[in-house]
Amino acid sequence: MRYRLEILALVAVLAFIVLFLYATTVMPGAEYAGSDTVGSSRIAALTGRDPASFTPLLPQWKPPSGEIEAGLFALQAACGGLVAGYIFGRWKGESGKKGPE
Amino acid sequence: MHIMEGFLPLEWCLVWWAAALPFVCWGVNRLRQVLDADREALPLLGVTGAFIFILSSLKLPSVTGSCSHPTGTGLSAICFGPAITSVVCMVVLLFQSLFLAHGGLSVLGANIVSMGIVGPAAGYLVYRLLRETRVNLYFTVFLACAVADLVTYLTTSLQLALAFPAEVGGVAASFGVFFVIFAITQVPLAIIEGIVLALVFKYIVQLKPGIISRLRIFPDEAIRAARGEG
Repeated sequence: MRYRLEILALVAVLAFIVLFLYATTVMPGAEYAGSDTVGSSRIAALTGRDPASFTPLLPQWKPPSGEIEAGLFALQAACGGLVAGYIFGRWKGESGKKGPE
Repeated sequence: MHIMEGFLPLEWCLVWWAAALPFVCWGVNRLRQVLDADREALPLLGVTGAFIFILSSLKLPSVTGSCSHPTGTGLSAICFGPAITSVVCMVVLLFQSLFLAHGGLSVLGANIVSMGIVGPAAGYLVYRLLRETRVNLYFTVFLACAVADLVTYLTTSLQLALAFPAEVGGVAASFGVFFVIFAITQVPLAIIEGIVLALVFKYIVQLKPGIISRLRIFPDEAIRAARGEG
């Protein structure tokens, strides 16, 4: 079947969404924090230290707000999307000129 | 997700930097060889690298009530091997350390080892084992990519367990704690990532079968069969 993989991907994404919606009803209090944040608080608990006492070893610039951070993450994805789209587009154009390989 | 800046003791930062650097240097060298041999490999490298950028920026919720992001490294590992993948990952991780406060410069070595070396190497191993078998080409890509993703976070769990052994039970007990946080969260994301990257690989196979054949990523018969069945 021509679109077997596409259908499979769609089903997987839908299943993922349903699973997520189900999980939110089972765990109403879940924060959906990053696993790195959860991991870091567990490190603090394991060592018996205050999480605030873990300071960067090297100076680090932090995005001033969550919105700016989200924007920069979107920029990262956009850069990837741009490159992937450009190359796929070029390949598609080349294959069109030569006729199907 | 990566280890956060400041959450790894200095000695461990240095150990992981020392482990990552020779590999990255080898990767730079390999990259030059591959691109010198075939300039057509450059767009393929662009596509596989672009998907590392895209997928590693998507923080998705998981069934454990926390979020994590896929790695996207499997495709690059299959096409170019783990050495070159480590170089691409270093670029992504550097971007995230400098502009997103995600990961960090001192823990960059540790994060390169997990996301850029051990994860992709595990995915590459799966691919090499299945390459010559009759297993469907797209299933091979799916499995290799999912394994690369999962093993990345197994490695992160191990890195943290080594640095922070529990008082009772030592490294093993502490690994169990981090395994639940990082690896279990990752399972559904790894499956989705495997399917998405298999789909991307399908489009590469359809548009540029020549480069896959020239780089000997898959045998010609397998490529022909995959193109035939779509």
